[in-house]
Amino acid sequence: MSYESPLRGNLVEGGKTYHDITLDITRPLENKASKGWWIGFSIASVFLALWISATTYTLLVGIGAWGLNKTVGWAFDITNFVFWIGIGHAGTLISAILLLFRQKWRMSINRSAEAMTIFAVLCAASFIVSHMGRPWVAYWPIPLPNAFGTLWVNFNSPLVWDVFAISTYFSVSLVFWYCGLIPDIATIRDRATTKLRKFWYGFFAMGWNGSSRTWHRYELVSLILAAISTPLVLSVHSIVSMDFATSLVPGWHTTIFPPYFVAGAIFSGFGMVLTLLVVGREVLGQKEYITEEHLDAMCRIVMLTGTMVGLAYITEFFIAAYSGVEYEQYAFLNRAFGPYWWAYWTMMTCNLLAPQIFWLKWARKTPWFIFMMSIVVNIGMWFERFVIIVTSLHRDFLPSSWVMYAPTIIEICILIGSFGLFFFFYFLFVRFLPTINMAEIKGIIKTKHSLELEKHYSELLTHGPAKANHSNDMKGESVHAN
Amino acid sequence: MLGVYNDPDVIYNATKKLIKSGYQVRDVYSPFAIHGIDRVMGIKRSRLSIVAFCFALFGITSAITLMSYTGYFDWQVNVGGKPALHLPTFIPITFELGVLCTAFGLVGCFFIVNKLAWGKNADIIDIKVTDDLFVVAIDLIDHKTDEAELSSLLKNTGAIEIRKREVDV
Repeated sequence: MSYESPLRGNLVEGGKTYHDITLDITRPLENKASKGWWIGFSIASVFLALWISATTYTLLVGIGAWGLNKTVGWAFDITNFVFWIGIGHAGTLISAILLLFRQKWRMSINRSAEAMTIFAVLCAASFIVSHMGRPWVAYWPIPLPNAFGTLWVNFNSPLVWDVFAISTYFSVSLVFWYCGLIPDIATIRDRATTKLRKFWYGFFAMGWNGSSRTWHRYELVSLILAAISTPLVLSVHSIVSMDFATSLVPGWHTTIFPPYFVAGAIFSGFGMVLTLLVVGREVLGQKEYITEEHLDAMCRIVMLTGTMVGLAYITEFFIAAYSGVEYEQYAFLNRAFGPYWWAYWTMMTCNLLAPQIFWLKWARKTPWFIFMMSIVVNIGMWFERFVIIVTSLHRDFLPSSWVMYAPTIIEICILIGSFGLFFFFYFLFVRFLPTINMAEIKGIIKTKHSLELEKHYSELLTHGPAKANHSNDMKGESVHAN
Repeated sequence: MLGVYNDPDVIYNATKKLIKSGYQVRDVYSPFAIHGIDRVMGIKRSRLSIVAFCFALFGITSAITLMSYTGYFDWQVNVGGKPALHLPTFIPITFELGVLCTAFGLVGCFFIVNKLAWGKNADIIDIKVTDDLFVVAIDLIDHKTDEAELSSLLKNTGAIEIRKREVDV
């Protein structure tokens, strides 16, 4: 039996029964695809085609197709990589950390957030592979016996840590996501009317039959997976930040990077979750599941993490001044008032100032406004990475190496195209898999028994024990399920 | 003998009563986890947590072995004069491999103990057990069980339907 806060509204509205939940959640994938889905999917496919052509062009021509130069050796590619990896942080955060904190509101959003994680990490990985210049030797960071006299990889290098972190993060998130999907896939299997559906959903349901022994182990496995994924989420972006922090470049060489990057990742991840869910709950008719309370809670997290990121920006400035290191001081002054000032102040406005609007209740409760704000957050977080990477590099130690960086059309196409890659998979996910975890949601709606119990107690409160006697047999240990 | 219910609290109490009366409850099937039913049925805490711990140890030791063998014993690379065997820089990869091995080992064992496999045909007790029905299955192997008595007990505890099903044991 757990405590139910009287302050929080119902996690699921509309007095749904178990069967209603099944019907509601499976509707988008059992009916014919709607017109909106086809339009969205087609647009995503067009952008995916753009991504494929721009990436292929890069692979054929080489990195010379990009705007990089001797001074700025990392720009759009790593900006996009960190941007997508950051977005990929909300999913596992929601399902793992919020599970450990027993935040039940996570249940209607974790499935789509985890899907988002997986697709975002895919996008991020694509930038890593394409920025290598010779992607056919992408296996070199893996410690394999090789033809160079068994010259192993350098395990002291954060770039090698990154290879391990990202691949672990991707595979563990995938496993976590799939485990959560099994009971729901079984539900779809048992509702399937066509042979094809029966076969494929049956194949992936692995023979799930809802036995209490399986459920018992399943709960334990989810808990352990959550427990190990929680530090994993934190470690991945910490390691990404060490790619920069362990270098000697002023503006990168700061110890604040790991917590600052993790806060930023959660911030941008929730931004993207809001972008997707505000639209998704309308289009898929899931307003009763992803309620205004959910949006409200996510807006609060966006505001909190946005402020943390803002605090980190200011702390960096202070530390640069306080350190007395001229190069460090110059790097930060150049960031804010140098030629890329517009990028810096875009970042500051979008990430630190804009989310403060969520102090207002109206802002947290108005879906169209939240949607606009989530786009602002996404833009701001993209610029944060651009600012960190490009402004720290473009004015090298020697003024003769000072240059400006501008992306080529190919780089812009890859960036825009990567959204196509992301949404292509996301649209397929919405079409073929339940976007809300039915089994978990069924576990948190109020049972008949607890509703009766609630009524009983409220009667007790208003009329005293005499009148409420008829339902006396309802109290006792049977409240366990909620 | 199967008792079909439509409410988790009702089936929880029913299972409790059935076990108290000495019936052999084979299993309870439900669309979601009914908290506490494992304790009622006397299911011991799964040993999967020990499995997870072992896999974590395996991942950690193999990571340390890999890095110290390749980086120190087999072929040392001088990178800026930094030490080749430097444990703090091994932490990230050790952690990642520990997590990776735990997750895959744990989920693999979970599939094995529950006999879950891709493409396996499900032995479903009722097609709606993954939707909104809760089923308690009671074994009648010894033929001594008074079926009429059991039926009435099931009905009294709130079963909406009572069925019989033959299984090969």
